[in-house]
Amino acid sequence: MAWLETLVNGAFLGGLYGLLGIGLALVFGVMRLVNIAHGEFMVLAAYLAVILVSLFPQVHPLFVLIPVVLAAFAVGYLYQAVIMNRVARAPDPLAPLLLTFGVSIVLRNLMVEVFGADVRSLQLGELSRASLNLFGLSIGVMPLLTLVAAVLLFLLLQWALKRTQFGRIVRATADRRDIVRLFGVKPDRVYNYVMGLSLALGAIGGVLLAVRSSFTPFSGVERLLIAFEVVVLGGIGSFWGALLGGIVLGMAQLAGLKWDANAGLLYAHLLFFVMLLIRPAGLVASKA
Amino acid sequence: MKGIAISYAVIAALIAAGPLVLGEGALRFSTECLLILAMAQMWNLLAGYAGLVSFGHQVFVGLGAYGLFLISDTFDLSPYWVLPVAPLAGAVVAAVIALPLFRLREAYFSIAMWVFSEIVAALVMKASWLGGTSGLPLKSSRLVDLDWFEPMLFWVSGVLALGTMGGLFLLMRSGFGLGLMSVRDNDLAAMSVGVDVRRNRFIVFVLSAAGCGLAGAVSFLGNLYVSPAAAFDVNWVVYMMFIVMIGGIGTLEGPIIGTAIFFGLRELITDQLGISAGWYLVALGTVGVVVMLWSPRGIWPPLRDRFGLKLLSVGRTAPATAELAPVSGKAGQLG
Repeated sequence: MAWLETLVNGAFLGGLYGLLGIGLALVFGVMRLVNIAHGEFMVLAAYLAVILVSLFPQVHPLFVLIPVVLAAFAVGYLYQAVIMNRVARAPDPLAPLLLTFGVSIVLRNLMVEVFGADVRSLQLGELSRASLNLFGLSIGVMPLLTLVAAVLLFLLLQWALKRTQFGRIVRATADRRDIVRLFGVKPDRVYNYVMGLSLALGAIGGVLLAVRSSFTPFSGVERLLIAFEVVVLGGIGSFWGALLGGIVLGMAQLAGLKWDANAGLLYAHLLFFVMLLIRPAGLVASKA
Repeated sequence: MKGIAISYAVIAALIAAGPLVLGEGALRFSTECLLILAMAQMWNLLAGYAGLVSFGHQVFVGLGAYGLFLISDTFDLSPYWVLPVAPLAGAVVAAVIALPLFRLREAYFSIAMWVFSEIVAALVMKASWLGGTSGLPLKSSRLVDLDWFEPMLFWVSGVLALGTMGGLFLLMRSGFGLGLMSVRDNDLAAMSVGVDVRRNRFIVFVLSAAGCGLAGAVSFLGNLYVSPAAAFDVNWVVYMMFIVMIGGIGTLEGPIIGTAIFFGLRELITDQLGISAGWYLVALGTVGVVVMLWSPRGIWPPLRDRFGLKLLSVGRTAPATAELAPVSGKAGQLG
């Protein structure tokens, strides 16, 4: 029973991991760009949430998500407009990759200098500790809510990309950035919105993860590696694969921790590496 | 070519005489510069010439260091004699992981290397026979004459840096190097004339791992102590990358300029201005980002083209018939 509980909790954590991955996957899918600074932006969002909570203690901590997500969208828009669009057209894929890596180093060390290297976390009071009893399993309310939120966001994003005008423009730009110009679409501006959306999704993941576990300015590396593993495990380009990949990773991590308490992310990383060997195309083979 | 050989000999003589001229602090600083230059050149070989950007090269630094410490202590051998183990450790591991990792392209390769490095670091931290999280002291250090320790390290680093530069120069002038550079400039065209891209990448990956293994081993030999947090520190690859990125990726001269800027900036910020190492990394990253936005291939290529500089040019003179066609400056120069 204890093992079942671990796996269920792993699945809840995995929903969150799926959320970390989807922002990275969105940017890769549309711009063919891996944003190495994605993890640092998530941690930045978590710091912003911690600051807002301490500034407005009378507001429920979950409501700070609204300003944080809006700020993350604005930061993403500017990041793409000011920096990334300048190299997006470079024929050489090295330049954008190195550039985002450079940005991640700057952000990480700025956070160390500004916020200090202390361990932080976001406290939700009673909600963090509340739990339900379902079929004899003790299940945390917050992890359950996180998984539900992740699934809802996945559905929302899929609907937006499939059914709305904005989604059609994004998909068209991803396919042929030169052709969409003929229809009056400015690819650079689409990229700005997509990066904003990606960082907004990352901010939700970053804040919710900060509720679950503590963070430092160095946590961005861990967050990026998880996000990346989720995307590769799920199958590059597969939407629901990312959620599935996240759940598998979350289960591997918690099962590993149960067996070996100071393993950290080792077993999640190992699982990823083994999967890379036996199923390089991912859990859900991509058709796109 | 003659000029290069002469300046190479002069630099070699300077390095040989270094310990006689330099004080203890300056000697240690120069050793560090030479080692970092060698590592950056190895990263450059992989990224600039084979198009494989690795964010996990710190794993080879750590493997080299642990390989040296472990073998030297186990067999009670002088660490100098065990040094060849370090590049071997890097090369063997690189050869084994190349197969699965080469399935991934571009950024996916980069991050998978990083994940691999994290796995190795976590496993080393768990291994009590490797000292766990606290690391290993070099017990065989008593076999070393401590009066000559710093000069020896300096000379080894000098040989390594010069060997790397000379080796890469000769490599780039060989047929193999020509193949590498053709892939760098246009992989499709290179494959169509029969360049085996996969084989080239494999050789370069193994070579670059071996070089980083040796440089890492010498670096930690200087401390007489190795810990997993320092050996598998992601900052190793951050340094290599910034040096190459700022100086000029895919050129032999670029990393020399990059190393000068890297250490110049560090001395200026942490020594002269007394500001913390964190701000130094912020400054380094900002310089890197600005350089990338201004010139995506680093500082050296625009300087070279603008002033017609030829430092370590590996370009060849085109055959006589090529003079008939209007050849732009860039196409004539392969280096």
